[in-house]
Amino acid sequence: MNAAWPIVALGGLAFAFAAFSVVIAAFTGPKRFNRAKVAAYECGIEPTPQPIGGGRFPVKYYLVAMMFIIFDIELVFLYPWAVAFDQLGLFGFIAMMLFLINLIVPYLYEWRRGGLEWD
Amino acid sequence: MTFLFWILATLSVIGGLGMLLSRKAVHSALWLALTMMCLAVLYVAQSAVFLGTVQVIVYTGAVMMLFLFVLMLIGVSAADSLRESIRGQRPVAVLVAVALGATLIAAVGNALDFSVGLQAANAEYGGNVQGLAALMFGRYLIAFEATAALLITAALGATILAHRERLFPRQDQRTRSVERFRSGVHPGQRPSPGVYARHNAVDVPALLPDGSAVPDSIPGPLRARGTVREIDATATEEVLDRLVGGAASDTGGER
Amino acid sequence: MTPISVVDIDYVALAPVIIVLVAAVIGVLLEAFLPEAARRSGQLLLTGSAVALAFLTVLIVAASRPFGPIAGGSLMLDGPGLFLQGLILLTSGTAILIMADRRVDPGGDAFAGRVSTLPGGEEEREVSRRGLMQTEVWPLMLFCIGGLLLFVTSNDLLTLFIALEILSLPLYLLVGMARRRRLLSQEAALKYFLMGALASAILLFGSALAYAYAGTIEFAGIAERISERTTANTLVIAAVALILVGLLFKIGAVPFGQWVPDVYQGAPTPVTGFMAAAVKVAAVGALLRVLYVPFGGMRWEWEPVLWIVASLTMLIGSLVALAQSDIKRMLAYSSIANAGFILIGVAAADQVGLSSVLFYLLAYSVATLAAFGIVTMVRVPTGEATSLEQWAGIGRRSPLLATAFSLILLSFAGIPLTAGFIAKFGVFTAAITAGALPLVIVGIVASAIAAALYVRIIVRMYFTDPVSASAGVASPSPLTVAGVGLGVALTVILGVFPQPVLNLVEQTSIFVR
Repeated sequence: MNAAWPIVALGGLAFAFAAFSVVIAAFTGPKRFNRAKVAAYECGIEPTPQPIGGGRFPVKYYLVAMMFIIFDIELVFLYPWAVAFDQLGLFGFIAMMLFLINLIVPYLYEWRRGGLEWD
Repeated sequence: MTFLFWILATLSVIGGLGMLLSRKAVHSALWLALTMMCLAVLYVAQSAVFLGTVQVIVYTGAVMMLFLFVLMLIGVSAADSLRESIRGQRPVAVLVAVALGATLIAAVGNALDFSVGLQAANAEYGGNVQGLAALMFGRYLIAFEATAALLITAALGATILAHRERLFPRQDQRTRSVERFRSGVHPGQRPSPGVYARHNAVDVPALLPDGSAVPDSIPGPLRARGTVREIDATATEEVLDRLVGGAASDTGGER
Repeated sequence: MTPISVVDIDYVALAPVIIVLVAAVIGVLLEAFLPEAARRSGQLLLTGSAVALAFLTVLIVAASRPFGPIAGGSLMLDGPGLFLQGLILLTSGTAILIMADRRVDPGGDAFAGRVSTLPGGEEEREVSRRGLMQTEVWPLMLFCIGGLLLFVTSNDLLTLFIALEILSLPLYLLVGMARRRRLLSQEAALKYFLMGALASAILLFGSALAYAYAGTIEFAGIAERISERTTANTLVIAAVALILVGLLFKIGAVPFGQWVPDVYQGAPTPVTGFMAAAVKVAAVGALLRVLYVPFGGMRWEWEPVLWIVASLTMLIGSLVALAQSDIKRMLAYSSIANAGFILIGVAAADQVGLSSVLFYLLAYSVATLAAFGIVTMVRVPTGEATSLEQWAGIGRRSPLLATAFSLILLSFAGIPLTAGFIAKFGVFTAAITAGALPLVIVGIVASAIAAALYVRIIVRMYFTDPVSASAGVASPSPLTVAGVGLGVALTVILGVFPQPVLNLVEQTSIFVR
């Protein structure tokens, strides 16, 4: 349980910061509200509740999401390797590099096919 | 320990109920994130440090984000109909789920009244994460390396399904204006119709300096309807007379 | 504190898997760096040579390596494993031949030019006008084959699960990539993906329960723990039940094979053939290993379940096949029925049963591949002629094709002098010696029903007048001819001279524990 205390402390700090920011703004912020000030963007027209396409996003975002997931899962494997790096030695290094090189391959593929371009 | 458990267990059940009862899909996802965070802390409290970390990184991080992405991509909203197309499916599903859940809980609960070897397993290589590394780079090396194949397939599949290659050349401002000039159509603005005092209407064509009419100047819908007025030549003469006293002028038509 | 020991890997014994997976990664690199025009030929060369090389390596490993656990115990090198690896590579190679054909369809191969284009849209027309092809199919195939090779040799529940995912993920994609009737294909892919993901989750849950019971996920460890038990334990029974559900799903046995007709119908036909042959071989292989090695000591618990599943699968598969009007759906139900016959041999749970299942898998997989290969050739202008009515009178216009198809159907029906007869005879004999006579009676009834169905199709091909919408037979490329020819030839050879192969399966059919 001792190892978890720094995490608990960090979590507490993060929560305290968030709570502090929200609460302090309510006290110290200037309060000069009028109808025009609270209107969206202070100008222009009110956004309609249902944007065009029913609030859907282009499927391009899906590619980004998948790439993120893949590198996120890679992280799961990197974590124990990094922690036990000294004990694993050269063999572990080679095994991990093999894994990483394999994961660069789809990245190269997507780059060459223009999957990373946005327009 | 028990104190921690009761707090987290209560919170995670609240998260689960919130997920089920929220009207909005995004709120459901956020409630689920609360449950996942509570589970992560419970894992760490059970000396499964790696599992707790992965729970935060992968579930509350990646999987949660994928949920939100899917919600945005398919645009689920509270207004969507929740009626099933198959009649009577819901009661049957509930019945089967309860039966399966009860059986499994009974089976697991019956058998799991002990836990052995946790301290030894965690201490063998100097820690929970180190022990996992020993398995990952030892006995289960093949499974670990083969996971790369899985991830490559996932990336390949996502690209095949979602990435559209450019089949037609990109349409930017330049290509569009080049195309416009090549096409032979008048590239600029068309003259506006001649709105005269006599007629005061857009259905009369504009006149060129030589006095001839420009049919294009009249809006398309009017032309299509066939309600274009002819220029009355005598009227033009009359206007000219009044303006310049009968002298020939270079002003063709008034705009 | 124990220092971490480095795992000792026998790279030669592992070579078939390594060759296929490395070739798949190279295939992805080819996709990235080769220009469009060179991709197809490059991929075909790579895929073909990788599968052929892997097949040769399997032979070399079988001849030179001692049996036992390899790669730290993740995989098991033994007779059934090597036989199944060889069979998977043989059937995959045949499927690749049929898949590579671009002559039967004037538009290109069996896959959509670009899967990401909208069906029926302007982009799709532009793609087919330019004759583009989605060559990512080939690396996906290689990944799938690599997963199959791992699946039949995995020696613990974790490797089993990862292998299952490696083989499933590319399949979900391949199913949705058909060139013709794309919406049907995409629907099939979604259906297969959702149900497959659920089945994987169930298998994983079962594995977790098995770990909770035995404290290990290694097959040998679980077997040891089960042999020590004195009373029935609900935990391990739940584990076996859930793992069985996951594996029977992939096999397509009856309560869990609901997806089979829709997916087989929607998938590109060469992929359907590949699924019906290689994937079924691997799934049965994994089921055999799981039931015989770790859970062999629980035979009395799982055998009755298998009896019920096998009977239902045979009867429902054969009966529903009778009612089909679509040739691909008919073959799908026929493959379900065949899964039932295979399960008879599995339920026998001894060495005779194992060898009979191995022979059945060989006979069935080559025949079903040839059957789907023939389906790709019978066409109308809009695609394959899948409606059975359009097959009327094919025998008069194309006697060679009709003869080949009839031979395969006769083999499915189990008529003597075909491989199907020897295979069915084998599983029935094994079941009788193991005391499963009721199962054999059900099997014979189901065979009779199926035989009626197959004879009806043969009659339609030869003795019915062609209707106006009847299909023509496209002239195939040598690739398809080779693939279908291999299947038909093996069906006949195994029916007439089965002895060498029977000897081989008898020698190989011992699992190393």
